[in-house]
Amino acid sequence: MANANEADRLKQETGLQKLLRRPEIGSFAVMLVIIVALAIASEGKSFNALGLKNNIAIIAQYGIIATGAAVLMIAGEFDLSIGSMIGFAGMSMAMMLKWGLPFGLGEATPFLAFIITLAMTLAVGWLIGTVVVRSGLSSFIVTLGFLFFLRGVTEVSFRLINKSTQISGLPDYKEESWFANIMGGDVFGWFYDLWFMLGGNLNRRGEQWVEGFDARFLWWLVIAGVAYFILSRTQIGNWIYATGDNKEAARANGVPVNRVKIGLFMFTAFCATMFAACQVFDTNTSDAAKGNLMELFAIAIAVVGGTLMTGGFGSVIGVVFGAITVGLVANAVFFIPAIDGAWFRVFLGAILLAAVFANERIRKRITGGI
Amino acid sequence: MAEPYLRVEGLVKRFGPFTALGGVDLEVYPGEVHCLLGDNGAGKSTLIKTLAGVHQPTEGKIYIEGKPVAFRTPRDASDAGIGTVYQDLAVNPLLSVTRNFFMGRELKGLLGTLRMDEMNKIAHDEMLKIGIDFSDPTQAVGTMSGGQRQTLAIARAIHFGAKVLILDEPTSALGQKQQMGVLKTIKRVRARGDIAIIFITHNEIHSRLVGDRFTFLALGKTIGAGTNSEIGDEEMRRLMSGGAEMGDLKQELAAI
Ligand SMILES: Nc1ncnc2c1ncn2[C@@H]1O[C@H](COP(=O)(O)OP(=O)(O)OP(=O)(O)O)[C@@H](O)[C@H]1O
Ligand SMILES: [Mg+2]
Repeated sequence: MANANEADRLKQETGLQKLLRRPEIGSFAVMLVIIVALAIASEGKSFNALGLKNNIAIIAQYGIIATGAAVLMIAGEFDLSIGSMIGFAGMSMAMMLKWGLPFGLGEATPFLAFIITLAMTLAVGWLIGTVVVRSGLSSFIVTLGFLFFLRGVTEVSFRLINKSTQISGLPDYKEESWFANIMGGDVFGWFYDLWFMLGGNLNRRGEQWVEGFDARFLWWLVIAGVAYFILSRTQIGNWIYATGDNKEAARANGVPVNRVKIGLFMFTAFCATMFAACQVFDTNTSDAAKGNLMELFAIAIAVVGGTLMTGGFGSVIGVVFGAITVGLVANAVFFIPAIDGAWFRVFLGAILLAAVFANERIRKRITGGI
Repeated sequence: MAEPYLRVEGLVKRFGPFTALGGVDLEVYPGEVHCLLGDNGAGKSTLIKTLAGVHQPTEGKIYIEGKPVAFRTPRDASDAGIGTVYQDLAVNPLLSVTRNFFMGRELKGLLGTLRMDEMNKIAHDEMLKIGIDFSDPTQAVGTMSGGQRQTLAIARAIHFGAKVLILDEPTSALGQKQQMGVLKTIKRVRARGDIAIIFITHNEIHSRLVGDRFTFLALGKTIGAGTNSEIGDEEMRRLMSGGAEMGDLKQELAAI
């Protein structure tokens, strides 16, 4: 029988070999190098109590939107409107908090402001997705349109209603609103309490220094965790991969390709809204330039994390490593004042290119070199 | 054997002003391999796409076990027992064998989670039944050879209850040895006795090797039909290249 010995041609691998062939391995190695290098160069400052909090704050911000961008990219599409969506959502929430609900419906609570904003951003996400699947145009160009459109709408709304493109000095809602608190307050206080009890986490006066992480840390873990579960363990995950890999094959087998794509454009809109909500309720401010360029960081991190630009392949765990790497480097200038902050972009550009080449090699290995 | 599982009567399919199928008749019986033959553009793929619910017929009727049916989507057709393996193979190369095998019909547990171990086992066993021992069903389909991909697609169609298995040029892109592998697979499926196979090919030898019954298409029409023993080699070649129209073409050419 011609095929009987086919099975023998596949070499049995050990557990370690399998681990080394995982798609996340490259981004994991880069992350380790960065963590060690940063710890040494900053003389440990980047991972002391406050350093850790500040680093995780930016990592979580990147992580939230990169997760959305990566899952969408796995399904074969791009979203360049993420940054403008962040600006739009932040504007919408801050404006409702300052000027009340639209149509004179009275005061806005943080929760109401969030829900109404989310309804709008999800609707825009649905619209983007629908335009992309119906027109068959590249999502690159459609979402580029929305990048300008949403940023413009944000600025115009600010000027028309608020007379200025920023809002600052909103009251601190975290005190009275549970919702503002879970978006902008502290989480995992026990971690820092424990650190304090063990004799660390002290300020100059010997009191407890840091109380907890920013709430966005929790949201990042939730979003990444859910995305990981859905992608790797569920039917919808299978459909997402199939949609990005070979759309026609997926469709011929009954996968609702269009609905998958539209749903994922709504998911990136959701991630952008979460990013904005954490920012607004943390700082009690908003301005029209918020989220600028974030779509590009999100895509860069997704690629650094091993997601294929052409779709069909990628892992949320890799994106977690990518977010940690990029977040740490973005923040490095605060811990090592001697370096020029622009090195961050030099570094990002370099690892992005390296990642693209590495991902292409992985893809070739899987598809047998085509 | 008396009643055909699938019967097609006077099927017409027009794309705008273009008549791709101009009245085609076809009967396929369980346990038989029915070869659909004809030149490029004859309408073979259009015919099977209509049977598979991708296109809706403009005129004509399709009967399954004597009852008229109308397929609006590929899903309708596959629910009625028509399993199609397309010419341009509907697989996702970056996904695993198992994920491809169950694409669109995943086995789900609580919360929509995939029952991965069970699915791996079924995919492995079903492929083994028709002749490929694929030890690692978590391997990406991209690493499989063309013949193995055909086998995957066939095993999938059968597992999900195909009573009519449609194979559109399954051997055309393969090397000699792999072609024989696919023909063996076809024979094994035929030997089960309960599945009707429609086999499209441009290869005369292949159709002779596995075919029980032939239908010849040319320019969207049936120009001949018969069993393997009824049709001689000479006749077969004439019909495969378009029959009478071939003669007209020669005259036309000569006239220029
Ligand atoms: N969707 C469509 N719209 C318009 N014309 C079509 C469409 N699909 C097929 N055709 C035309 O119908 C005719 C028959 O095509 P079909 O693909 O069925 O041929 P075939 O017999 O499968 O040929 P081959 O052996 O090359 O695969 C061709 O002339 C083709 O251009
Ligand atoms: Mg064809």
